[in-house]
Amino acid sequence: MKTNKIAFLGLLVALAFVLSYVEFLLPLNIGIPGAKVGLANLVVMVALYTLGTKNAFLLSIVRVVLVGLTFGNLAMMIYSLAGAGLSFLAMVIGKKTKLFSVTGVSVLGGVCHNIGQIIVAMFVLETSSLIYYLPFLIVIGTVSGIVIGVLSGMIISRIQKLFKI
Amino acid sequence: MKKNDIILIAVILVITLGGLASMAFRQKASTEDTADKAYVLVKIDGEEYGRYPLDEDRQERIELPDGSYNVLVIEDGYVQISEASCRDQICVNHFHIHYAGDAIVCLPNRLVVTIEGGEENDIDSATN
Amino acid sequence: MNRIKAASILLVVLLIVFIVAVQSGKIFGSKVDGTDSSEEIKYTATFLDIFDTRTEIVGYAHNETEFSNQAEIIKERLVFYNNLYDIYNDYDGLNNIKTINDNAGIAPVEVDEEIINLLKFSKDMYKKTNGKVNVAMGSVLSIWHEYREYGSDNPERASLPNMAELQAANEHVNIDDVIIDEEAKTVYLADPEMSLDVGSTGKGYAVQRVMDYCREQGMDNILLSLGGNISGLGTRIDGTQFRIAIQNPDLSSSEEYIEKVDINDGQCVVSSGDYQRYYVVDDKVYCHIINPDTLFPSETFAAVSILTDDSGAADALSTAVYNMTLEEGMEFVNSLDNVEAMWVYHDGTKVYSEHFEESIVK
Repeated sequence: MKTNKIAFLGLLVALAFVLSYVEFLLPLNIGIPGAKVGLANLVVMVALYTLGTKNAFLLSIVRVVLVGLTFGNLAMMIYSLAGAGLSFLAMVIGKKTKLFSVTGVSVLGGVCHNIGQIIVAMFVLETSSLIYYLPFLIVIGTVSGIVIGVLSGMIISRIQKLFKI
Repeated sequence: MKKNDIILIAVILVITLGGLASMAFRQKASTEDTADKAYVLVKIDGEEYGRYPLDEDRQERIELPDGSYNVLVIEDGYVQISEASCRDQICVNHFHIHYAGDAIVCLPNRLVVTIEGGEENDIDSATN
Repeated sequence: MNRIKAASILLVVLLIVFIVAVQSGKIFGSKVDGTDSSEEIKYTATFLDIFDTRTEIVGYAHNETEFSNQAEIIKERLVFYNNLYDIYNDYDGLNNIKTINDNAGIAPVEVDEEIINLLKFSKDMYKKTNGKVNVAMGSVLSIWHEYREYGSDNPERASLPNMAELQAANEHVNIDDVIIDEEAKTVYLADPEMSLDVGSTGKGYAVQRVMDYCREQGMDNILLSLGGNISGLGTRIDGTQFRIAIQNPDLSSSEEYIEKVDINDGQCVVSSGDYQRYYVVDDKVYCHIINPDTLFPSETFAAVSILTDDSGAADALSTAVYNMTLEEGMEFVNSLDNVEAMWVYHDGTKVYSEHFEESIVK
């Protein structure tokens, strides 16, 4: 791994961490547990398209653990890990199939993040009624996925020009 | 943004809306159901012992740790105690109950049977 | 890109619709925002541990916590009276009616003012009812209590007390032997063989005192039932009168209630009847209300209900009128202000005092 690549990864981790914190400070307060815009996904998207699958995965996990340890608790970390894991898987597959642009991949990621979280929450809380939140979370995931997709598309093209990595 | 992205988003939204519509519909149907649904609530010493739908006929033998018992009978939307180990038998002699808030009490066994929800009657309390 | 713009706008609109829907709880069920109700709704609390009977408190509140706090205050007051007026149990550091009985002929007992108030009230009722309600006849009542308890436990061996035994006990029922010293706050039973039984006045008096207390505390819209001694404070929350059903004494009938009455602020309803506590000897029912004149349970009526504006009086009067003939009772009730009665015979015939029917729900 080239040094600038490592430095860039570190930068992205820090950025993801900060964005998670911003989201933590400004929760989307709509009475639904786990409803998030998923700002940090922006960074994961950038990493996925600039640093490759392995590094992006690393970033994704490190971010969740860091944020969980700093601001949250173990339960929150488990939800996030499930969400991040499923989301990452969906994004990698979406990207590999080459069917979708950055936006489509981002939408997949956003939607799957929320699906993963709710599934784990259903197991942990042993209640199936949480499924009623799912449609709402999917719509949130889609909307934020589009926004983040468009944004990361812009960022990715610029970064690729700037850094040539 | 590719054409596929739009298709993806559209597909996700259609599936979600469909699911939501069916869920909302089912939820509505079930809340309408429970709103009028009456339950028979059995409490012993203030603690909930059991909860049975009023519209299902059943017979329930309520056993207490000390061996005493009350037999609860739900029939045609009416509840009564058909048999009990208590000596005063006030609970057995009590009228069957049907309306929301109605209660049968067995003091010796610390048992209270009340009806929650369902048909209301117009009285606030009754002498005994 | 126009299509995307349109899709984005559509999505944002959808998002807003969802948020609104969720906030108002329309789609995801009702309990999204807790259970606070903007209107006060009706709650009922039931306790079984006061005065050996069923206590029911009906009230209104915005949520369950608010109501249970209110019910808890009322319960606490009732427990206070329960302990004071108890004739069977001792309580640590508390002199109650049992303490007075235990010290009959021995020593005056210093008691809480509320015991003195009850006994003064009971003496008052004794005079008013010509001795038909006598809290000093514990000696007679305890004999019946024993036979009834034994008879309920062993129905095949149930028997009646013999008259000589009852008459011997009846030598020790003089209410003037209950000596109240208001200054020293003591009560002394001058006859060592006598005992107090406040069953005919204690519950009703306690209800009245508790309701007075609630009124002082600024509470409103409360209905309190202590073993059928029902007393109302204010009205229902919507301003209509509280509606009380009167239990049908014929337990084999298909009708649970024989009458419904609407009560005004402060009014009370209580019934005395042979269907409440009784035991059976040779297929004949012997109830818990003992006529001081015959020393046997009264059996003229199945039940007598009293409607008046003092719960203590209601309790005592229902016992007194139950022990009278219809003529005596009718004359007695009609001579009292704001007291109405309904007599129910064993065949279901109902007789009303002058104005009782005015309260009946048509």
